[in-house]
Amino acid sequence: MPDNPIRTDAPVLDVQNLALRFKGAPANIVDGVSFSVHPGETLCIVGESGCGKSVTALSLMGLLPPQVARIMSGTASFDGRDLLSLGQRQMADLRGNTVSMIFQEPMTSLNPSYRIGDQIAEVALRHRPVSRAAARQRALEMLDRVKIPAAASRLNDYPHELSGGMRQRVMIAMALANDPTLLIADEPTTALDVTIQAQIIDLINDLQKETGTALIMITHDLGVVAEIADRVCVMYAGHIVEDAPVEAIFDDPQHPYTIGLMSSVPSIGPRSGKLATIGGMVPTIERMPSGCRFTPRCPFAQPDCAAATPALAELGPAHGVACHYAPLEATFAEAAS
Amino acid sequence: MRIPTADRIIETRSLTRRFAGKTGLFRATTFVSAVNEVSLEIRRGETFSIVGESGCGKSTLARLLVRLLQPSEGSVLYEGNDISTLSEGDVRRLRKDLQFVFQDPFSSLNPRMTVGALIEEPMRVHTRLSRTERRRKVAELLSKVGLRPAFANRYPHEFSGGQRQRIGIARALASGPKIIVGDEPVSALDVSVQAQVINLLEDLKSEFDLTLILIAHDLAVIRHMSDRVAVMYLGEIVELAPNDALFDKPLHPYTRALMRAIPIASPHGRTMDATLTGDVPSPLAPPSGCRFHPRCPHATDLCSAQKPAATEAGDGRMVACHHWQKIAEIPEVFAQEPPRNQTAAKRFALFRERSQQKEPTTAASK
Repeated sequence: MPDNPIRTDAPVLDVQNLALRFKGAPANIVDGVSFSVHPGETLCIVGESGCGKSVTALSLMGLLPPQVARIMSGTASFDGRDLLSLGQRQMADLRGNTVSMIFQEPMTSLNPSYRIGDQIAEVALRHRPVSRAAARQRALEMLDRVKIPAAASRLNDYPHELSGGMRQRVMIAMALANDPTLLIADEPTTALDVTIQAQIIDLINDLQKETGTALIMITHDLGVVAEIADRVCVMYAGHIVEDAPVEAIFDDPQHPYTIGLMSSVPSIGPRSGKLATIGGMVPTIERMPSGCRFTPRCPFAQPDCAAATPALAELGPAHGVACHYAPLEATFAEAAS
Repeated sequence: MRIPTADRIIETRSLTRRFAGKTGLFRATTFVSAVNEVSLEIRRGETFSIVGESGCGKSTLARLLVRLLQPSEGSVLYEGNDISTLSEGDVRRLRKDLQFVFQDPFSSLNPRMTVGALIEEPMRVHTRLSRTERRRKVAELLSKVGLRPAFANRYPHEFSGGQRQRIGIARALASGPKIIVGDEPVSALDVSVQAQVINLLEDLKSEFDLTLILIAHDLAVIRHMSDRVAVMYLGEIVELAPNDALFDKPLHPYTRALMRAIPIASPHGRTMDATLTGDVPSPLAPPSGCRFHPRCPHATDLCSAQKPAATEAGDGRMVACHHWQKIAEIPEVFAQEPPRNQTAAKRFALFRERSQQKEPTTAASK
């Protein structure tokens, strides 16, 4: 895993060779994943359903019960400790404190029967030696910071009284109540309308600048990636296939899956013919291809691709690509017309 | 600018649909106008899209257009005939021509029927084809939507989301319709599958001479697929324009805000603009005058007092805003995507070329 040359400081989180397997599954759902994120940096993990991006986040948060999935290998050093080897109690002390997470659907993450002010205050009470009054003051302060209008009168609202965008603001308020050093956001704007999405992304950007929190954003939306990311990891079927600074991912995409994914998204600009598509579909865990897992769908696949899993090789500054044949034009130039 | 009668396949006149809101023993029933006095025309053979945020009434409008819902007021004309007052039997006959593809294909396919039976059903109802002919046509439709004919004997739960959407499309095509309405037909699908289904819908549209009515919230999908686009806000159409015109130079302040809020998939694009604040107001108590006025940066007293009429804005465009001419002159950056650099463009071309060579296997493999 290459490090961003711009960042020579110590990462907030450094994940090495993480592998996860669901109970009874014949293959790893996450298979040898490594990445790191620095203070104030935004890392976007991009991929389609089932690529392992959310499971990765859940395992880092200690939210994957051992009876569901097992950690096969790997370390995740955070603040001098390995997140993956912490016990339930130690993890509970970190969660909502120095590491926080925001989920896609705020309605299912908020408790419907408690007032939002109490829910935010509880986060502060759980981790800090503060009085009830101080915690409530903190809740008010947080609602203000996530720009909820008339925050004081909103403290006593129940989640169902808020719109989707407002609920997501409350989730962000809860997640940031204890000034975490790492925030993980799993598709936080996917369920929102585009104008509300713009507000929420803007808010996350501002708060991150203010607090210097490191952010891991899981998304499938390349527009959101371009808007918010410093670094991007592209995941496919449990592997990171490309890891690069955001400019390089868009200006110099190397892996056939990255290129295919970008080709599949319609442009907001004038139409330029039919979409180029990736054939077939994402493999199921029961039928995980050997070697490079993208082989069966890759238009560039060669016989040796199924034989060996390519490692991330550095093809540019801090730009890792897991493909035997990158850069593609060096091998397949005859077709480039 | 009206569409000539011969080219007009659907027309609505002041179409309104109200739903009962909160009811109670001691209070008057309140009504929500999900669709409020919508008048539009759809041209035969075009892809007409309706876009807007949640709760704007786009799905209700789509259902009204093909009589899946009955209007509260106003009328819908299909091929010049009013279909809003038809009897149930006539509506069933109409269904042959007007078909629907739903967002979630799983909840719209009967889990106890085989894929073959599901696709055959509209033929049994609407055509006089013999059993053998129907079976043959099922196989033909399955391969048309990129699935193996042998899948006819399987059940919906055996398929992935993308495959189920293909089954939903095959079923919609079975009666030989003239119009297909897609209500967010690709929004539940992953990006790579979404692209396959978009291409499929386009191919089938030209092969079967269909008129496509598309409901979507994803503006990039709309831009890619549409001929004309209607923008809805709180039950009303605020702007209607040819695709390129709408994206290059939106006129209504709401459309303009939407276009500025889209995140551009390029690090060299403009950053998105989050200046449209607040949420969509409750449709139970829509604002007076122009329904957008409480969120509109250009609103004046006139806007809260008087509802703006739908105005022709040239080049087949319509806009409902008191101040559109003045607003149109404000220079703003909307949704341009900067071109790719040479290196990237070359690789995308390479991918396109090689993926087309590989094409025939699309989605059929399982």
